[in-house]
Amino acid sequence: MKKELIAMILAGGQGSRLGALTDTMAKPAVPYGSRYRIIDFPLSNCVNSGIDTVGVLTQYQPLALNTYVGNGHPWDLDRNNGGAFILPPYQHSKGSDWYKNTANAIYQNIPFIDNFDPDYVLILSGDHIYKMNYAKLLEYHIAKGADATIAVYEVTKEEARRFGIMTSDENGRIVKFEEKPAKPESTQASMGIYMFNWPLLKKELAEDEADAASSHDFGKNVIPKLLAEGRQVFSYPFQGYWKDVGTIESLWESNMDIIDRPRDIDLQDDSWRIYSRNPVKPAHYIAPGAKVRGSALTDGCVIYGSVHHSILSHSVVVEAGAVVEDSVLMPGVVVRRGACLKKVIVGMETIIGENDQIGGEENKEHPYYNKKICSESITLINGGLILKPDISVPGNCMVSMAQTVAESDQIIERCENIPAV
Amino acid sequence: MIRNTCGLILADDKRIHMGDLTRPRALSAVPFGGRYRIIDFALSNMVNSGILTIAVSTFNKYKSLMDHLGTGSAWDLDRKSQGLYILPPYISSESYTGRGDDLSGIISFFREIKQEYIIVSSASCILNTTYDELMAYHRDKNADISVMYNRDGYKAEAPVTILDMTRSGRVKGVYENPLNPVSNRNSLGVMLMRRELFVEILGEAMSRGTTEVNPEFYVKEFDRYAIYGYEYKGCALRINSTQAYFDATLRALSEPTRTDVFWQKQPVFTKVKDEAPAIYSEDCEVRDSMISDGCYIQGSVKHSMLFRNVSVGNKAKLTNCIIFQDTQIADGCELENVIIDKKCVIRPGIKLIGQAAYPVVIGKGAIV
Repeated sequence: MKKELIAMILAGGQGSRLGALTDTMAKPAVPYGSRYRIIDFPLSNCVNSGIDTVGVLTQYQPLALNTYVGNGHPWDLDRNNGGAFILPPYQHSKGSDWYKNTANAIYQNIPFIDNFDPDYVLILSGDHIYKMNYAKLLEYHIAKGADATIAVYEVTKEEARRFGIMTSDENGRIVKFEEKPAKPESTQASMGIYMFNWPLLKKELAEDEADAASSHDFGKNVIPKLLAEGRQVFSYPFQGYWKDVGTIESLWESNMDIIDRPRDIDLQDDSWRIYSRNPVKPAHYIAPGAKVRGSALTDGCVIYGSVHHSILSHSVVVEAGAVVEDSVLMPGVVVRRGACLKKVIVGMETIIGENDQIGGEENKEHPYYNKKICSESITLINGGLILKPDISVPGNCMVSMAQTVAESDQIIERCENIPAV
Repeated sequence: MIRNTCGLILADDKRIHMGDLTRPRALSAVPFGGRYRIIDFALSNMVNSGILTIAVSTFNKYKSLMDHLGTGSAWDLDRKSQGLYILPPYISSESYTGRGDDLSGIISFFREIKQEYIIVSSASCILNTTYDELMAYHRDKNADISVMYNRDGYKAEAPVTILDMTRSGRVKGVYENPLNPVSNRNSLGVMLMRRELFVEILGEAMSRGTTEVNPEFYVKEFDRYAIYGYEYKGCALRINSTQAYFDATLRALSEPTRTDVFWQKQPVFTKVKDEAPAIYSEDCEVRDSMISDGCYIQGSVKHSMLFRNVSVGNKAKLTNCIIFQDTQIADGCELENVIIDKKCVIRPGIKLIGQAAYPVVIGKGAIV
C-alpha cells in the first residue's frame, strides 16, 4: 500500500569508537539514559512524527538489535499495514553482498522501499540522541520544492572540524559541503538526517552503485554528486538537544545531561514520549542505609550503598558500603560491598568485586590504560565481566573481554555471555 | 506448566469496600506496589502457569480495569486463538433486573471453551506463584475441587472464609467471618476444578437466583463434592480493607515480603507506561522506599511507596506514605501515614498526618 513517507534507519555500523561496548552489539543497541537504547530515539521520533513504516538496516552484531526491536510493539510499530522491519543484508540469486556503506545499504533495499511506493524517504542514523519532528522537516522540504533536505545543527568553529559542514545561501539552499574541513566556512553540521524525493534518490543510488570509484556513502558520494548536478538541496536548521554518542566521552556526557541539563533533553515531555522496550521488573528500592542523590534510576534497581551523580539502568544492584559516583551503569550491573566507582561506564551484567576501586586518577603505566577509546579519565568496564575483589583500575582504562582472560589476569575473574536484551 | 486449563478472575468483590480507593474502580484495579494493579498478580500467576485462556469478570466500574487490561498484550494474551476475555455483566433481557443476568455471560463463555480444568481466582489476595503444585495436589487427592488457603486466619480482618478440614485435607465446614474461628485456615480465593463441574455448579446456583460468583460459594458444596484444601506456604497479602491495603504495601517494602511478592523467578507483568527514569535531586533524601519511573524527588521520602510520575517538592517530608501515579506534592508539605490517589495536587506547606492504624486517604484528583 502506498505511503507518503517511510523512514530507513542505518543501524548496521559497528561504532568502533565505543570500544568494548560494541564488541557484542551494534551501537544503536547500546543502553543509554537509564531506561533507553540509543535506537529508541529515532524510532520514537518516527512514531511521534506520524511515520508508521520504518526499515531498520542491521549488519554488525545484529542479535541484540533484532531482539530489541522485535516486531516494533514498544514503539507502536506492530502494524498490519507498515510497521517496523529489520532489514539485514541477504543473498541474491547471483551471489550475496554485505552492506558496503550507507548508500549501498539503501540501494540493496530498493525493492523494500518500492513496496510502499513512497513519495519521500527519510534516511536516519541510529546513533544520535535528539527529539525531532520529522513531519516539520517534510513540510519544509515540500515548501522549498527541494530534491533533498539535510538537517543541520549549529556547532562551534572548533567542533566544526569533526563534522560534515554545510554552507547554505540566504534561502537555505546548500552551496557547499565539506567533510571534516580544516578551515570550516560555516558552522552548520550535518546531522546525518536526509529527506529525499524517492524517485530521484532511487536513480542516484543506481548511478552511485555503477560508479566503481564511489565508496557508496551518503556524505562522501551521494550528497556531493547532487550538489555537483545543481540539484535543489536545502539545509533544515534544527534547534534543541542533539548529541552524537559515538565516543565514550560523548556517551558519558550525554548520559550526564539527563541529570545536569534535564530541561534540554526533557525526557518527561508528555507530548514527545521516548518509547522503549520495558523490562518486566518491580519499582526500584532504596534501602534504609542508602544514599541516592543527583541521579537517575529505573525499575528493578536495588540500592543499599551510595549513588551520586550517576545514571543507573534497570536491575542494577549497589550493595552496602559501595560508592558510585559520576558513573553510568548499564542493565544488570552489580556493585559489590565496599567497591568504589568514580567516572566509570560499566557494560551490561558486569559484576564489580568487593572493595574494588575503579576509576579516578590516571596511571599511564597500567596495562588497561587506553588513550585511543577512553578520554577525560573515564574508565570503561565492558559487559559480562566478573571482576576479582580488592583490585584497583585507575582512570582512563578500558577493561574488556576481547582480551583473553589469562590465569595471571589481576582484574578479571571470568567472562559471561551478555543476554541479547 | 499446567496444560489444558483456563482461568477466571473475579475482578471485584462486593464484600470488600475501600472507600475512596474503590469508589472510582473495581477492587482489582486498585494500584499496588508502585507500578501494578492488584489484578496483575492473579493474571501473572495464571500466565506464568501456562494458562492461555483467561476471562475477567466484573459487575460494574469496569472503565479503569479495561483501560489497564487493554488487549492483554502486556501479559502476552493478545492472541488469535485463546487470550484475554473480559466478561462484563451480560444483559440478556431488555428489562434488566440484575438477577442472574450477571452470570449468564460467564456460564455461556465457559460452556463453549474446551479446556478440561478451570482455575477461579479472586483478585483480593496478592501472591506471586504458579499453580503447578496446586494441580499436582488436586490430582493426587483425586479431588473434585481444590481450594488454596494459608494460615493467617486469626489475624486477618473480615471478610474472611475459614475452612474446617479433616486430617486428610478434606473440607468439612466453611465459615464466613466467624466470631470464634474453628481453625486458622483462611481461604485465598483460588480454586481448581474441572470446567464442566464449574459450569454445572454455577448453572444450578443461577437457577436458584444467585447473582454473583465468589470463590467461597464453591467451597460451600462440601457435602456433595470432594473438596480439598491446599496450603499455600508462600507470602500472601490480603487486601480486604483500606487498613489491610496500607499495611500490605508497607510490609511489601521490607524483606522477606519484598522478594516473595515482587522478586520471584516468575515476573509480575503489568501494562507499561514508558515514563522517563526517576530523577533524584542533589538535596533529596530517600530511605527504605520503592520509587517508580517518572518520579522527580527533591524532598525527603521515608518508608514509602511512590507510583509512577510522582513529584515531591523541595523540603517536603513523606513518611509511611503511598502516593499513586501523577500526584504532585509541592514544596514543604509534611505527610505521614497517608494514601493519596491518582492525579492529586498537594499545595505548598500542607500538613497531613494520619495514624499507622488509621491512614488518611485522599481521593482521586483532589486538590488539597
